Formats: sequence, C-alpha cells, structure tokens
Amino acid sequence: MSTTLAAPRPHEPISPGRSIATRIGFLPILLVALVAGMSAIDPQFYGLINLLNILRNASFLAIVACGQALVIIAGGFDLSVGAVVALASVVTAKAMAITAGAFPGNTALIIASGVAAGLGCGLAVGLVNGFCVAKLKVSGFVVTLGTMSATAGVGLMITSGIPVYGMPEAFVKGFGRAQLLGLPTAVYVTLAVVLAMMFVQRRTLFGRYVYAIGGNVDAAMVSGVSIQRHIVGTYVVSSVLAALTGILLTAQVGSGQASFGGDRMMLQSIAAAVIGGVSLRGGVGRVEIVTISALFLTILGNALNLLHIDSRLQPVFLGVIMVAAVALDEASRRRKHRV
Amino acid sequence: MSDIELPAAAKDASSMKLQPIRLLWQAMLPIALLVLLLGFAVVDHGVLSPGNLLNIAQQTSYLALFAMAQTVVILTRGFDLALGPTVSMVSVGTALAMAGTAATGHDTATVLLAGLGAGFGLGIACGLFNGIVIALLGVSPFVATLGSYNIAIGVATTLSAGRPVQGVPNLFSRIFYGGSVFGVPAAIAITVLVGIVLQLTLARTVFGRSLYIIGTNPRAAGVAGLPVKRILVATYILSSVLSALGAIMMTARTGSGEPNLGGSLSLQAIAGAVVGGTSLAGGRGGVGTAVLGALFVTILSNGMNLTRIDGYVQMVVLGAIVITGVLLDRIRLERS
Repeated sequence: MSTTLAAPRPHEPISPGRSIATRIGFLPILLVALVAGMSAIDPQFYGLINLLNILRNASFLAIVACGQALVIIAGGFDLSVGAVVALASVVTAKAMAITAGAFPGNTALIIASGVAAGLGCGLAVGLVNGFCVAKLKVSGFVVTLGTMSATAGVGLMITSGIPVYGMPEAFVKGFGRAQLLGLPTAVYVTLAVVLAMMFVQRRTLFGRYVYAIGGNVDAAMVSGVSIQRHIVGTYVVSSVLAALTGILLTAQVGSGQASFGGDRMMLQSIAAAVIGGVSLRGGVGRVEIVTISALFLTILGNALNLLHIDSRLQPVFLGVIMVAAVALDEASRRRKHRV
Repeated sequence: MSDIELPAAAKDASSMKLQPIRLLWQAMLPIALLVLLLGFAVVDHGVLSPGNLLNIAQQTSYLALFAMAQTVVILTRGFDLALGPTVSMVSVGTALAMAGTAATGHDTATVLLAGLGAGFGLGIACGLFNGIVIALLGVSPFVATLGSYNIAIGVATTLSAGRPVQGVPNLFSRIFYGGSVFGVPAAIAITVLVGIVLQLTLARTVFGRSLYIIGTNPRAAGVAGLPVKRILVATYILSSVLSALGAIMMTARTGSGEPNLGGSLSLQAIAGAVVGGTSLAGGRGGVGTAVLGALFVTILSNGMNLTRIDGYVQMVVLGAIVITGVLLDRIRLERS
C-alpha cells in the first residue's frame, strides 16, 4: 500500500512479450471456454438478442473499468466511479429538461447542454479526487471513499430518488436505443474509448508516465516527472469516463436515475481491472485486457442467469474467481522470482 | 497508495520533543466532539436530554465494535471490506440456527448455544478465509476482502432467500439487547468489556505489540523473527470475531436475522477508525481511536437527524468529514 513497502521489482519486464503472454494467458482461454460451453449447453446463449444484450452491458462496464485501471496503474484507487455514474445520469437528464424548458425545439442545444453538464460533473469530481490525493496527500482510498458518499448524496439530493424525465426523443431513440450496422451505439462509443486509451497508454507521455509513477514514485520523481499533475490526470480520466457511462445509460433507459452505477458498478470495475491483470501494486496493466475481462465478467453473469443459477448465489462466483485470479498471478510472480 | 512518508518510528522519535503541540493535536477530536454536541444542543435542546445521550451511547457501542474490528487489521496495513457482508451472514446464520433448533424442540439453552456457535463459527470462517488468502497466498487485502465481500453477500442472501429470518427466541433479545449489567444496557456493557480486553491485548501482549511492528515495518518484523503470516491470520480471525459479536448484538436488537444488516457497515467502520486517527499506513491506532471515531460519526448523524438535516445532505457531510479527518491527521503528523 505504501511505497516503503514496494520491493525493487521490475515493473517494465525485460522480456515484455513473454510477460504479457503469461498475463493474458488464462483470460482469453477462459473466455473461449465459457462461450463454447454455453453455446453447447443453451442455444439461447448465441441468440441475437442475448448477444446484443451482453455487448451492451459489457460496454458500460468496460468504459468504467478502463478509467479505474488507469488510476490503479498509477498506484491509486477510485471508489467514487459508481456514484459518478449516478450523478452524471441525473445531472444530464436534469440539464436537458431545463434547457428544453428554456429553448423548446432546439434539440442540438438541449443535447449538448445535457452531455456537457454530465461530463462536467465527472470533471469536477475527478479534479476534487486528484487535488486531495496529489496536493493534500490524503490516501486515494479515503478520498474516493469520501467523494463516493458526497457524490451519491448530491445525486439523491437533486432527484429525491425519483427518476428524471424530459429528454428529447433524438437523444433516447436516436442515440441511446439506436443501432448502427446491427450493433448498439454504446458498443461503438466503447470501442472508441478503448482505442483512445490504448493509444494514450502506448504512445503518449502521459500514459508512459502513469506507468512510471505506479512502478516507482521516487524514481519517477527523480527522473523529473511531474507526479501531481499526472495523478490528477488519472483521476480526471476515471471520473469523466464514469460520467460518460452514466450518460450512455441515461440515453438507453430514457431517464436519469440516482440508482445507476452505485457500489456494484464500482466493485465490478475494480474486479474487471484486477482480473484483467492490473496490479494493485501499480505500474502494470493494459486497458485492452481489462476490456476483455469486462466482457468475461458480463458473459459470466449472463451464463449464470441462463443456467438458472439463483441470482443471490452469483456474487459467490464473482468473489471466488477474483481471489483465484489474483492468487494465481501472485503464485506465478513468486515462481519467476525464484528462477 | 499513501505517498512518500517518513517511517512511523522516525515520526514518533521526532514528535517526542514537541509534547505540548502534540497534546493539543491529540485533544482536538474530543474538543471537536464537545463543540459538535453543544452546537446541535443550541439548535435542538433534545440532543442533551438523558434519553438521547443514552441513545447515542447505545448506537456508538455497535459502531465502536465494528471500528475496533477494522482497526486491528488496519494496524497491519490491511483492511476488511467484507465486514458488512460478514455481519449480514452472521446475523442470518445465528437466526437460522436458533430457529432450526427451536423448531426441533430443544431446550432454550441449547438453542442459544446453537445460535452463538453458528454466529461465531461463521465469523471465524470468514476471518480464516481472509487471513489465509492474504497471508499465505499473498493477495492484497483489498482484493481478498472484496472477494469475501461478494461470497458473504451471496451466502447471506441465499441462506435467507433474501427475507428476514424469523424465529429468534425472545430470551436471546432479552439477554443481548434488553439485558443490563448494574443498570448499564447490555450493548454498552459488552462493548466496554471487549474494549478493555482488546486494549490490554494490543498494549500488553506479544501478539498485540507485534501488530504494530508489522504495520510499521513488515520486513523488519519478518527479519526480527516474528511469525508474520501466522499473526496476520490470527488478526483477521480476531477482526471477524469482533464483527460477529457486533452482528449477534444487532440481531438481538432487531429480533430477526437480516440479510441486509451489514449494508454500508464496511465503509462506515473504516470511516470511524480513520476519523478517530487510525493510520491507513499501518502501525498507528488502537481501541481509543476506534471508540472516538465511532462516537464522532454517531453524534454527527444523531445530531443531524434531530436537527432534521436531510438524509442526502448527511451523506455529503459524512464524505467531507472523512476526508477532512484524514487531512488533519496528516497535517498533525507533519507538524510533530
């Protein structure tokens, strides 16, 4: 948890090819096995409706998990993402309803104001998180625990827990529920986000510095990396991506709800990142694997539903798989150290 | 996570020179508590009524137990996200065991023993799972307890089918909720007793002291020959047993096994411990910080309820308080 504990560990391995192979090794195999097994057992699984359903749900989780992964790679945590999803949803719907009242018929302006307000919420929460962690040096766990409570409170305050309606048809039917070439629009948004994040991680200074900071803060600082600005950056990206998910969910459901996201989304995003090979010690992780991991978790939940496994029992599977994935990762790391 | 910091030992050494400032900082939370209480009393005189003060003490005793459970693992640089679901699971298990044995016609003593056995048994099982996964498999406390969080929720809701479990004998509630020791309500008496024993354990036993050493410098603890893994497993078991005790007391209060009893308790307990001054970096805190933090959180929410502050605003205030508490703690460390 603290840098004094971090052993001198090679975070950029000498043979990246082999390391990545061992990292992603078991996940695609599990994914293929799951899909093949389910297809054999239940033809309903590969029905078009079910596949679209899986893709849509995986999209929401993948976007949040990508942001979460970035924060964890830099050595932090973001517990507030679930609450940001809820707040962005509520604020987007509310802003659209208000603008629609002031400028009836001006659809473009209404949608723009809603989306801007939603993303603005994410930006604000991200800045608060980043400021408290980077400048005030409060641990990321505590800061985002605090902003989680505060953000959820604000979302509920705005709505009193009642769904917010009054969004233009173009936003709901024309975007949220629309399909392009047979796929839901959310899937394209997710693809764009993942590709952009892959580019950021591989090709930009910001992405490389995030690895450096997570791998060894002291070394990064000595090398002249401005730690504070980049840590603020990771929290802002995470919150803005969570807000984007809130907006997508709002567009699909057709109302702004303070019950979106929540603890469940937050825990799942961390689970997706961790199962996707992001190390909680920082410095290691790739968004594309996290995306596969989000897809895996979504298909797993879907499969358990189709197999009529009691929905109450399903968290047990998630818990066991998560612990097993990380335990395996730890075991392989130890073996490597011994050799 | 917590950035560049001096090792705790160095902090302690340098802080010895500045006793007055240090004392002032340490008195800050109790002073803040008094100010808070008086402030609420100005708005609503009912806050300081004997009935409400007793109410506060009783509410605090539950949260204090959970904050203590959280504190012992935080001392070793861990934490227990699964505390809330553990509470739910123990509540359901205790109620089911008692309802089951009562239905098959056993006498009351057997029924109570079965309930307590099931409750503490589940608590020990949770702690053992967390401890083994963290200490022996080397999984970070966050992931390990996030895993047991999901497992415990699944078990609690499956066992109870998502509904409250009825059939808790009246005697159980009369002992652990209605009972009193020399006029002190059972919940308060139990928490005080447990607090004293835990404080003695932390301060006076080899096991207790080794928690601080592990939290301050795990590698030194290992080099010094402490059986770190075994101690960690024992710590997580101790933590879960404390949570189980709290869960049994809360089950006695509601009179039924509740699959949602734990709710947001994990985070509330962490908030209580942290606001009281327990350091997430490990090695600093104790029974005192847990009780103070629990008292602070309880008085805050009790006062806001009585002065009719909106429940949603209360969430915002609690969030701000948690961050401010830790921030002040950090400033306190830098000053001293």
